[in-house]
Amino acid sequence: MMTLFTGSEGRPGGRGAAAVAVLAGLALACAVAPLMADGAVVRRHDADPLVAALLDGRGSLSFALFAGLLGGALGVGWGVLATALGRRAERRLMSTATRLTALPLVLLVPLAAGLLGGGVGILALTVALAVAPAIAGLTHAELNALMRREFLTAARAAGLSEGAILRRHLIPNARRPLLAAGALALPRALAAESFAGLLGLGLPAPLGSWGASAGLAARLGDPVALAAPALLLAVSLWALCAFADSLRPGHPRP
Amino acid sequence: MTVPMPAPTPTPPIQTDALTLMAGDHALVDRATLRVEAGEVVAVTGGAGSGKSLLLRALAGLPLPGIDVAGNARVDGRRLLIAQGGVLAPRRPLGAQAAEILGHHLGLDAGGSLRRLSDALDRLGVPAAARRLDLPPDRLPDGLRWTALFALALAVGPAVLMADAPGAGLDPTVRLRLLHRLAEWARGEAVALILAGRPEDGVAGPATRALALHRGRLLPAVPHAAVAFHRGPAAVPPGGPLLTGRGVTVSFPLGRTAKGEERRLTVVHPVDLDLAEGETVALLGETGSGKAMLARALAHLPAPTEGRVAWKGRALESGDATGMRRTRRDLQVLFPDPAAALDPAQTVGAQLAETLESLRPDIPADRRARRVADALETAGLPAQTAQRWPVSLSAAEAARAGLARALLPEPRALVCDEPAASLSAEERSAFLDDLLAVRDRHRLSLLLATEQAEEGLRNADRALVLLMGRVVESAPAETLRHGARHPLTRAMLAAARGGSPRLEGEAPSALALRDGCPLRTRCPNERPFCAQAVPTLEEIAPGHRVACHYWDTP
Ligand code: SF4
Repeated sequence: MMTLFTGSEGRPGGRGAAAVAVLAGLALACAVAPLMADGAVVRRHDADPLVAALLDGRGSLSFALFAGLLGGALGVGWGVLATALGRRAERRLMSTATRLTALPLVLLVPLAAGLLGGGVGILALTVALAVAPAIAGLTHAELNALMRREFLTAARAAGLSEGAILRRHLIPNARRPLLAAGALALPRALAAESFAGLLGLGLPAPLGSWGASAGLAARLGDPVALAAPALLLAVSLWALCAFADSLRPGHPRP
Repeated sequence: MTVPMPAPTPTPPIQTDALTLMAGDHALVDRATLRVEAGEVVAVTGGAGSGKSLLLRALAGLPLPGIDVAGNARVDGRRLLIAQGGVLAPRRPLGAQAAEILGHHLGLDAGGSLRRLSDALDRLGVPAAARRLDLPPDRLPDGLRWTALFALALAVGPAVLMADAPGAGLDPTVRLRLLHRLAEWARGEAVALILAGRPEDGVAGPATRALALHRGRLLPAVPHAAVAFHRGPAAVPPGGPLLTGRGVTVSFPLGRTAKGEERRLTVVHPVDLDLAEGETVALLGETGSGKAMLARALAHLPAPTEGRVAWKGRALESGDATGMRRTRRDLQVLFPDPAAALDPAQTVGAQLAETLESLRPDIPADRRARRVADALETAGLPAQTAQRWPVSLSAAEAARAGLARALLPEPRALVCDEPAASLSAEERSAFLDDLLAVRDRHRLSLLLATEQAEEGLRNADRALVLLMGRVVESAPAETLRHGARHPLTRAMLAAARGGSPRLEGEAPSALALRDGCPLRTRCPNERPFCAQAVPTLEEIAPGHRVACHYWDTP
C-alpha cells in the first residue's frame, strides 16, 4: 500500500526536546544577562540591544510562567468540572467557554491594565481569565474523547466499579492530555502580555518586557532595538507551543 | 464463473514481460508477466504492502520515485488508474469535476460532459432521482461517491482501466454489486479491466481470472474460500439456554420536539434471542444494522434501553454490582478494535491481572501471574507478552491479548463483536481458527457479530440477520446457507461468494427511515404493499423465520 507510516513531519519527541532545550537556554541567558551587562547597576538604554532584550526576557518569561500556570489551572479545572458535574452543568459551563473563546479576550488585558492601574497581580489575573476559556474547551474535548475510548468499556466488562475505573484507567490516561492542554496556556499568556506591552499597557515600569521594548522601539523607529525582543518573543512562543504539543500522548498507530 | 474468455489477440492492450520493480536491491515486484485482453477482467489480490499499488502505477505509466524498473511493460490505448481511496476532489461539485476531466480527455463542453456522465451513471444503475451532480463528493453517501467515480471513468472511455482497492470501505453487498456492473461494462465495451485489492475484498468475484501477488511474484490465485479456515459449528449439540434476551431494545435520545416530546433514535428494535450452552449464534448484518449494539446490549455494555437480559434464568440488573460481576465472570466480550480495548497506560500483564483480580477473587494473588501466562499461551502468545505495553503489539497480537483476557476468568460464553475486523485475511483466519478451537475445547457458547455472511454461517449453529435494528431472518446456519429467503440474506451471501448481490444502492440512514420495510428502496422484489407495513417475523418452516411480505418470491 502507498500509505506508509514514514514521512510524517518530524518526530514529535525530537521537536519537544528541541523546544525544551531552547526554553532552558533562553531562561538561562535571561538569568545571567545582568552579569553580561557591564557594571552592577544596569542602565538599560545604553546596553547592547541583545542584552537589553535578555533583561526584558526575565520579566516576560516569569510573568508568562506565573500567569500561564494560573490560567492553565483555571481552564483545566473548568473543563474537568464540566465533565464531572453531569449533563446540564456540562452544557452550561461549556457553552459559556465556547462563547468566551469566540470573543477577543486579549483586549481585556490592556483594558484592565489601563483602567485598574496595572499592578502585576491584576495583570496576571486578567491574562489568566483571558486564556482560561480556550484551555477549558481543549480540556473538555480531550476528556470527552477519553471517555469514549474502548478500554473503559473493556474495564467495565472486567467487572470493575466506576470508582476503580476512574482511579486505575481514567486518571492515569487523563494526566498527559490535561497537562498538554494546560501547558498551552503558557504561550497564550506570553502573547497576551506582549500584546498589552506593545500598547504600553503591559508589565509596570521597573519590570521590562519584550512587548513593551518592541512597542517602544517601534514608536522611536529603531529597527535594531526592535529586532532583538521581537525575535526572542517569536522563538519563545514557538518553543512554548512545541513543548505543549510534545506533552500530548501520541495517538496509537493503527 | 461461466464468462467466455476473450479470444487471444496478437497485441493485447496490456502485456508485460518479466516486469521487475526494485527498491534498492529489494525486488518489490519480481518478473511479473501479465497479459490482459480487451474485454477481460483480471483481479490482482494481495495483502497490505504486497506491491499491488506499485504494479498498477507502473502499468499506468505514473512516475515511481526511488524505484528501478526492469523488463517490459506495454499498455496500449487510453489508460486510466483509479487510485486508492478514489481521486475526486472532496469539495468541488461533481458536475464541475466531470466537466473538467471529460473536457481534458475528450474535449467535450460542459453540457456534453454532463450528458456523458449521466449515460455512464445509467449503465451503473443509478436512478435519475439519486443523481446529485451539483453536490461535492464528500456530501454524497459512500456508495454513490464510488459509483460516481466509476461512472466518470466509464465516461472517459478508456481502453485500459485499473482500479486500486475499488469500493474500499463499502459494505460487501454494495461493493460487489458495483464491481459486477463495472466488469459487465468492461466486457461489453472491450475494455481491459484490472481490479486490485486484498483477497478478502472480493475483487476476484467479478473477474475472469484472479492473480495473487505474493512475495513479489504474480501467480494464479488460490480461491479465497479455500484458504479460509474451515471448522464448522461445534460438534456437540447445544444444551440448555444460558443467555436469553427478551424485547431487547437500544435507542438514543435525539433531544426534544417543539411540543416537548422526547425524540429517540432506535437502533435496535425489540429482539428476542437465546444462546444455548455450547451453541454458536451468528449475528449477521451490514454496517449500521445494529448487530454490534445488540451484542453489547446483551452483555450490558451498556444495558439495553428496554427489554430484559437474563443469564441462566437470572435477570441482569445494572444496580446489582455483585450479581453483575458474577455474570461477567461467565460472559466475556471480544472487541472489534482489540488494540483500542487495551489501556495504553498499563502493561498487558497488569490489565490481565486486574481482570482476574476483579472477576476471580477466589484465586490467590500469588497464583495470578501463572494464570495470566497460561491464558496468553492458550491465546497463542508467548507468556512474556505480559511485560509488553499495548502500543508495541501488532493488531494480531492485540486481538490475541484480548482473547487471553476474555478467557482468563474461565467464562461460559463469549460475545464477539467483529473480533477480527482489524486483521488481514491470513491473520483473521488463523485467529478465528484458534477462537473456534478454544470454543470446542471448553464448550463455550459464542455470539458472533459479523458482516461476513459466509464465514459467520460456516461456523455457527444458528444465525440472525439484522437490518436496521430488526431481525429479518433467523434459522439454523445450514438452512440459511442453502435456502435463505430474505432478499438481504441472499444478497449478503451472494456478495460473500463473489457473485452480484441483487440489491440497489446503499442502506438509507436510520434517521431517514419512514414506514414500511426498511429494505424497500433497494429490494428487487419490492411491491407497493412493502411501503405500507413493516413485515413481521413469521415462521415459514420449523426454526426458520423471515420478515418479508414476499418471501416466497424467488
Ligand atoms: S417486504 Fe418487500 S421490500 Fe421488504 S424485503 Fe420483502 S419484498 Fe423486499
